[in-house]
Amino acid sequence: MGVSPSVSPLGQASYIQARWRVAPSPVPEPGAVPALIPGDGRGEGAEGRDGEEPPLTWDTRGHRTRHRRQLGVAPGSPRGEAAAEPVAGSWPCQSLEDCPLDEDEDAFQALGEEDEDIDQFNDDTFGAGAVDDDWQEAHERLAELEDKGVPSRDADGPAGNDGDVLGDPEDALAERLTRLVIEGDLEDPAIMQAVHTRGPTQQPGALNSSIWDSSAVLRRIRGPLLTQEMPSVSVLDYALPQRPPQAREEERDPSERALPRRSSSPIIGSPPVRAVPIGTPPKQAAIPNFNQQILCPKPVHIRATMQQRYPTPYGERMSPNQLCNVPNSSLLGHPFPHSVSPVLTHLQRAQLLGGAQAGRMSPSQFARVSGLVGSPLPSVNPKLLQGRVGQMMPPAGGFRAFFGAPPAPPPSQLPHPPGPGSHLRSVPSLSWPLPGSRCPSLTLPALPRPQMFRPDTTHLHPQHRRLLHQRQQQSRNQHRSLNGSGGDRGGHRSSHQEQIRKDPYANLMLQREKDWVSKIQMMQLQSTDPYLDDYYYQNYFQKLEKLAAAEEVHGDGPKKERTKLITPQVAKLEHTYKPVQFEGSLGKLTVSSVNNPRKMIDAVVTSRSEDDETKEKQVRDKRRQTLVTIEKTYSLLLDVEDYERRYLLSLEGERPALMGERKQKICDMYDNLRGKAPGQDRPSDDHFMQIMCIRKGKRLVARILPFLAPEQAADVLMATARNLPFLIKKDAQDEVLPCLLRPFSHVLYHLPLGTVTSLVQQLTNLPQSAAAPTNLHLTAVLQNKFGLSLLYLVLSRGEELQSSDTNTELIQDNQWTELMLMATRELLRIPQGALAKPVSIPSNLISLFSRYVDQQKLNLLETKLHLVHGIR
Amino acid sequence: MNYMPGTASLIQDIDKKHLVLLRDGRTLIGYLRSIDQFANLVLHQTVERIHVGKKYGDIPRGIFVVRGENVVLLGEIDLEKESDTPLQQVSIEEILEEQRVELQAKQESEKLKVQALKERGLSVPRADTLDEY
Repeated sequence: MGVSPSVSPLGQASYIQARWRVAPSPVPEPGAVPALIPGDGRGEGAEGRDGEEPPLTWDTRGHRTRHRRQLGVAPGSPRGEAAAEPVAGSWPCQSLEDCPLDEDEDAFQALGEEDEDIDQFNDDTFGAGAVDDDWQEAHERLAELEDKGVPSRDADGPAGNDGDVLGDPEDALAERLTRLVIEGDLEDPAIMQAVHTRGPTQQPGALNSSIWDSSAVLRRIRGPLLTQEMPSVSVLDYALPQRPPQAREEERDPSERALPRRSSSPIIGSPPVRAVPIGTPPKQAAIPNFNQQILCPKPVHIRATMQQRYPTPYGERMSPNQLCNVPNSSLLGHPFPHSVSPVLTHLQRAQLLGGAQAGRMSPSQFARVSGLVGSPLPSVNPKLLQGRVGQMMPPAGGFRAFFGAPPAPPPSQLPHPPGPGSHLRSVPSLSWPLPGSRCPSLTLPALPRPQMFRPDTTHLHPQHRRLLHQRQQQSRNQHRSLNGSGGDRGGHRSSHQEQIRKDPYANLMLQREKDWVSKIQMMQLQSTDPYLDDYYYQNYFQKLEKLAAAEEVHGDGPKKERTKLITPQVAKLEHTYKPVQFEGSLGKLTVSSVNNPRKMIDAVVTSRSEDDETKEKQVRDKRRQTLVTIEKTYSLLLDVEDYERRYLLSLEGERPALMGERKQKICDMYDNLRGKAPGQDRPSDDHFMQIMCIRKGKRLVARILPFLAPEQAADVLMATARNLPFLIKKDAQDEVLPCLLRPFSHVLYHLPLGTVTSLVQQLTNLPQSAAAPTNLHLTAVLQNKFGLSLLYLVLSRGEELQSSDTNTELIQDNQWTELMLMATRELLRIPQGALAKPVSIPSNLISLFSRYVDQQKLNLLETKLHLVHGIR
Repeated sequence: MNYMPGTASLIQDIDKKHLVLLRDGRTLIGYLRSIDQFANLVLHQTVERIHVGKKYGDIPRGIFVVRGENVVLLGEIDLEKESDTPLQQVSIEEILEEQRVELQAKQESEKLKVQALKERGLSVPRADTLDEY
């Protein structure tokens, strides 16, 4: 149950001046349902008469109910609603004659007792969720204040309205509205209009009426009254400094909560409830009450007068910055000057000031954090302050805002907030001892410093903070030396000056706010594991740095000062979440929330029976299995690739373990690739082929190859060569095979001649049995880009080995020679048009072929295979 | 002052004239006065520019606060180059009329298309949630 009854009946009751008296009409009128008797909202009845029934009142939902504070029935509860139903049926008596006065009382009481049985001491009203604020007392206190507040207002108030508040309901209402509404709605002259019917000039803009019609205004007026009646108490303190704050404090605390705290059950384990949306600039932290009550950020931007709604040439307007320099501006005055003839009362001024301060302190928390202190820059701060609110200079002198320079007591005398500093120090990753920076605010000394509800990653990494500071320094320098001193920034500043001259609305967004936004953005860059969160940027950044380092090595001249954005790593803070336990409950009640998600659906995997499977299903399953294998192997691969980095980061002792892990993973990968060894020597390539049929599988193999041991790699190569035609056929659509070329060539580099020979054998499928007329295998290989390229590579490698190593064994040599003879014969036979275009042609092929064929054939081969570079 | 090198941050763009394209197809031109972390924008002296063919018309709108998620793109306007454009400015009424005509034509063609598809037994799902631009 969200809204307790403490607010609206009160508001309504007081707002609606007519007072309903308790009308005990125990005898219902003939034929009618017993009249719903509105009770006295002020609760005189409830408090005064203990023994009797509390009078019936209206609750928030308009249900007739009783104000059952003592009895503990939540109004609006089912029982209460039942009570609101026509009671005739449940009465013990049916006719008028049978219901004398006494019996009616009993009947009522009987109802009450029934209610008691069921809804007594419910949690929301009495338990953890209940807020101990007695709205009646609060209301009475307010009423007192009102009365006291009236005589204390001097002639500064709206003209001629110092009379009896209660005697003139209209004016009284207007007064209270003024007080209440100012706070959030100052910038809207339309609201002021509705309230001060005699005072300020009518704004002639036609748009006013369209947007701010009376109903909207009234609605808005009602709103603050109902929900923000409480703040008037605290704000009064601004205007009435003679009132001792301490006396107010304890009264204030319960009454200042506009909305009662919700019962604890819905929000257990949730992130802290914020009355102010998270996106808003932080308010002045020293006024927590405002934060709780004001549900929307208070905009201190006071916009141009309505007449200037449409763009007019710049020159004719006064910039907000200029306005404060106008001599008759009251901006430069003391916070509470008496000489100014204002439309506002003390209270309003205070509210303005408070509002301005609160908004002013928009990056106040941040300001504290970053060490931007107000007092060292007296020239900056008031200018910024005034620049913000200096817009309010209506020609007709409607209402004038005036905001003093920083408040009269020098900021150094105000207490230093240790909150943010200590909060920061608790974070291990950041040791950034803050000076207790001062907060130039009109903080009432009695108010405690609030907690700053910020998550742990809101602390800036020192490097980021340094960046921010640098910027602030620069901006301060700019502000300070606006008169043209300072050589290197002269040009920049003149444009800055020009900007100010031409654009009177410039710098509406203050430097602080810009820094605040960029601070948020920088905070988002902090992470506990940048390699995990932002892998691509990290790699990119490293590449850039390598490039820069390489350039520097080459002596490119003075190193270019490039500020690079870093994404720093913040230490991970362990949050152990402990689920809430209720005392006195049987068993553990689990509340599912953001921090403690609960499994809602129990998904059970049922395996299908083998019998029903059709061929297609089997095929599909097999493919799925392959896909799963590929994915698993990919994970292993990513881990293995990461080991190098981890190795560098790890300690000495951990390294062997890391290496072992890595080896193991590589073996696993290989096993995955080739299928689990059934004990024999890899009899089937089937598993491997399945993987190779899938595009991702091919890429996977290409990436894995560098990590495999030479024998294993050669094995893979063999398998590929053996089944190349099949693979080529399958690859027709994807054309991914060429990606394997590079790793293959690397592998080849390490292979001995014997292996190479057998490779060629596999590739060309030679020697062939006499029965086969054509070498389909070879044909297929030659017709495919990858195949041909691979063949060339292998041949080239063979040639390399042959030419370099003079001590090769004769057997191998013979094999090789025979093979080459056959290969060249085939090559000669194949028509040129059938040949694919290889990726690259190794240069030593000519020498290779020259060994085995005579010159004529060599020439033929050359032309056919485009071995000579000139021909191309 | 280089805010966040290597990133796209709007801070450098403040107080400059921008052209903002919104998801509903509108084009706004105004001075960017304020931003926040969601790239909500405050545009000052905003003008809504309607383009139809080679013509365009400006409707002065005042101050706009645009919620960040509704922005497709925005870019700074070079004030020097702003005036040399092959487009022709016309009055508001005229451009609105042109826009209406264009919209009508588009709706007609769309209707015909849907009809044709229906005749062939196909249907195009209504893309209600797609952005208009």
